[in-house]
Amino acid sequence: MTRFVESTITFPYKRSLGPVTGAFMTALADKRILGVRNGTDVLVPPMEWDPATGAELAADLVEVGPAGTVESWTWVPEPTEQHPLDRPFAFAFIRLDGAANPLLHALDAGSPAAVSAGMRVAPRWREERIGHITDIACFVPGVRSEVDGTDVGGPGQPVELMDYTAAITYSTPVLAMADHALAATREHRLIGLRCPTCDRVYVGGDRPYCPVDALELGADAEVELPNAGTITNFIVVEPVQYPGQTVTEQFARVFVLLDGTDVVLTYQPVIDLPVGDIHVGVRVSAVWAPRDTPVDTFSGIGRPMGSLLGWTPSGESDVHDPDLVNRIY
Amino acid sequence: MIPCAVVGVGQTHHRSKRRDVSFGGLVREAVFRALDDARMTMADIDAVVLGKAPDLFEGVMKPELYLSDALGAVGKPMFRVHTAGSVGGTTGLVAASHVRAGKHRTVLAVAFEKQSEGNAQFALGSGRGASLGAGGSFAPFVRAYIHRSGAPEHIGWTVAVKDRLNALKNPYAHLKIADISIDKVRDSPMMWDPIRYLESCPSSDGACAVVITDEEGGRAAAADGRPPAWILGMSSRSEAGGFPGRDPVRPQACLQCAQDVYQEAGITNPREQIDTAELYVPFSWHEPLWLEAHHLADEGAGWQLVDKGQTELGGSFPINPSGGVLSTNPIGASGLLRFAEAANQVRGAAGEHQVDGARVALGMAYGAQSQYFSMWIVANNLQPFG
Amino acid sequence: MTTGLTTTTARTSTDIAVIGWAQAAISRRTDQTETQMLMTSITDALTPLGLTRSDVDFTCLGSCDYITGQAFSFVANLDAIGAWPPKRDSHVEMDGAWALYEAWLRLHEGDIEIAVVTGSGRTSTGDPSLIYPMEMDPYVLAPLGADLVTFAALQARAVISAGLADEKAMAEVAVRSRGKGSVEELLAGEYVREPLRRHDLPPITDGAVAMVLATGERARQLVERPAYITGFDHRTECHNPAFRRLDDSPSTRIAAREAGLGTGAPIEVAELQASFTHEELLLRHVLELGDEVAVNPSGGALRANPIMATGLARIGYAADHVFAGGTRALAHATSGPCLQQNLICVLEGRS
Repeated sequence: MTRFVESTITFPYKRSLGPVTGAFMTALADKRILGVRNGTDVLVPPMEWDPATGAELAADLVEVGPAGTVESWTWVPEPTEQHPLDRPFAFAFIRLDGAANPLLHALDAGSPAAVSAGMRVAPRWREERIGHITDIACFVPGVRSEVDGTDVGGPGQPVELMDYTAAITYSTPVLAMADHALAATREHRLIGLRCPTCDRVYVGGDRPYCPVDALELGADAEVELPNAGTITNFIVVEPVQYPGQTVTEQFARVFVLLDGTDVVLTYQPVIDLPVGDIHVGVRVSAVWAPRDTPVDTFSGIGRPMGSLLGWTPSGESDVHDPDLVNRIY
Repeated sequence: MIPCAVVGVGQTHHRSKRRDVSFGGLVREAVFRALDDARMTMADIDAVVLGKAPDLFEGVMKPELYLSDALGAVGKPMFRVHTAGSVGGTTGLVAASHVRAGKHRTVLAVAFEKQSEGNAQFALGSGRGASLGAGGSFAPFVRAYIHRSGAPEHIGWTVAVKDRLNALKNPYAHLKIADISIDKVRDSPMMWDPIRYLESCPSSDGACAVVITDEEGGRAAAADGRPPAWILGMSSRSEAGGFPGRDPVRPQACLQCAQDVYQEAGITNPREQIDTAELYVPFSWHEPLWLEAHHLADEGAGWQLVDKGQTELGGSFPINPSGGVLSTNPIGASGLLRFAEAANQVRGAAGEHQVDGARVALGMAYGAQSQYFSMWIVANNLQPFG
Repeated sequence: MTTGLTTTTARTSTDIAVIGWAQAAISRRTDQTETQMLMTSITDALTPLGLTRSDVDFTCLGSCDYITGQAFSFVANLDAIGAWPPKRDSHVEMDGAWALYEAWLRLHEGDIEIAVVTGSGRTSTGDPSLIYPMEMDPYVLAPLGADLVTFAALQARAVISAGLADEKAMAEVAVRSRGKGSVEELLAGEYVREPLRRHDLPPITDGAVAMVLATGERARQLVERPAYITGFDHRTECHNPAFRRLDDSPSTRIAAREAGLGTGAPIEVAELQASFTHEELLLRHVLELGDEVAVNPSGGALRANPIMATGLARIGYAADHVFAGGTRALAHATSGPCLQQNLICVLEGRS
């Protein structure tokens, strides 16, 4: 049965709002909702441009609401983690008093039976506001806006930025051939796949294809590869810090041409080889995790491949071949 | 095929953080400059093509949806291209293809990146740790180039200085390092050996827009005293990534793409017939490397052009008079900037960084592990070679 | 070529036709990677035509990083197209139907003859209800987790209010598309987002579609009955559904007019990318499709919805109608909330 690996992509984005959305967010922190004049209409949220034509709008901002009328709605019986409320609620198109178009927001109404088009609603503001669309915690039935607790206020200065974080978890299949190659590493064997058409060999089973012939390679293409080779090229990375970064120190990855083959392993970790000693031509041999120890099965670029932890100098003398450095692939 | 021409070019002022604008504000800054340059309004545009690098950079999926109205595309075709780092160039090609096919008369190509909203290293590592970064991909290629060409190490520094000096003449460029010098580049930290910090491109917020129209539109602009840049050749080529024998220093896709555009433009001796080129050079060593892979220098001899100062503004074959990617790098827009700057050169509209008498120019962009290439040849004349 | 010779000759320079297509791994959850699915679909599309990848002059792939969960995910898919020697190639972060549009433009330039376009996605990889808010307005909609189904429900309300649909008619669309269940059973179900019930929503589907295009003479050499693309257009609307009339689809109307709908022979089959039942009813109304038109005989997006390939599959099924002897078929593809962006492709056979 196919194994799936889960990974979550999370990043805290920092959005700059520009003059118009910035003013809108600043006003939200002050419990006011702004629209922008477009001819005789007032658009909410305020736009920098006319959504119909793209024409630049003068930033003639006017206050609307805070109360409004539900124009349309739908009930959300099972909110997601991204929704503003963690209990069932209505997403509603609310036409704020004075606006020409509705605003989408959450309406906390208890049950769908309590919601109807034409009902009057008003915002429930967060206690502490930061200049964000969720400064309106939600709308509630009635015409009086309210604060959800004690009014702590806003940042007291213009809001120019907003945070946005989305965390999405992906479940990706691991090919049977990839698992097969990983299992082989647990026996300290390195396997590859030989294309029957062009004879090129590809290491591991992550990408069991010959891209030259656009062929998928199966078990019958399997070949055993040597555990020793020569460094052809390398990178030394000065890590840049970013959310999710796991390294702080300079690190290296090497390219290894396997003995007696045409196969280059790219971006391999090195073991017991100081960064300053890495050069083209160093003879290396595979370093394996002890048999039956659990290993990270996520094999991305620059990571160990299963029990193949990396490569270490074998002690043999360097290979001097001017073409070696060109063997990147 | 219908001949087509660039009649309007616009770009933003590029910075590491354009915190003063929204996404819409950023792209519109470039769009209105391009429309003003073309003496047009949004109403004159028949279709819009948007390019940018991965959506993970900003955390907005398929931003052509959100930006449709900001780009004035309501009621029009709105198209989105993504071909890795070459995307800005491909955006120009796809926009031109709309016109060449005879389907649309005037098309707006727009490309942008707002790198400050996220972090490209993060995105390149797909959100995981120990991202190798773009330099991690290209450092081995550079090492191989240096080794096989025998180029001395100062070549990389020389390109880094030249492009930053050019950027001082470009009012839109991001990096303005007034005291740039060989010493300063040489003494900057080693980031991805053998690539130093000042031999690397910055991370920028910015956008670029180009108006492309048909022969009639191009002739009308010319008659109005606004020279068009005629697009004489275009091509995009891709090659598979990792297989034994692939040479990323002299990629087949690059050589072939260059051949495609030269052939279509009627160029038989590119070094002589082309006056200047805007090449995608994110790390300084890519300049000599690309000179060779575009048949502009013999194999192994690209660095000598650099060494002799021939690729300087004022040299016999100026490369990246705008300051290039080394000075300005809103990733998705970087390719279109190359194409746009090439167009401005043959329009005589490049201002302080104008190459004297430029009649024919090459714009180029590339992406992934040197796998995606896009190029166009522009000229001040439909038949520049008689 | 016995009749219509004059017309054919006159059109030769701009004739572009769909000559074959194939799907791979269309299923709720496949254990294949996107590259594998593409490898299979491209091979299966080319082989019956007697073509190999080396015969292909241009490739254009359509896919989406956020569906796949990886930046630059499409780069790996180059392995499937046989990009060695290097190919003239492009990629759109859009449904494969737009990749087809780019290839169609490219073939019009006249210097090449055969193109392959694809659409591919593994929707089961992530949770669409968490992914889709990321395509919404990044300041006021994405931060609310405003999801595609919510917007579909609001559009369904507008379509119902305008008298273009009711819940029973929507259930009938579901029954006809999926070929199972009864309207009474379906209407007894709970709302997912009122007025939408489970049956009004598309399934989650993985899969890839590959399609082969050829210019006139070449198309006629390769197949007996090419499906000529005689009209092709796409249009967009403003993004935020709060600024739109949701009981209409003006972009579909413009695209249809530009694609030549309303003139020429009657449409026999319409394949519409209606992921929600009410969308089919709205689109039928906007496109003025009468009862004589067979809508979504394939089962449409309600039966199989391989995101980034669903639109291209519509064009494939419309081509099938022509391959089988039909005269004129229409295909529609869409993207964005509440049918923001719409594409119309008209395919014709010739006697």
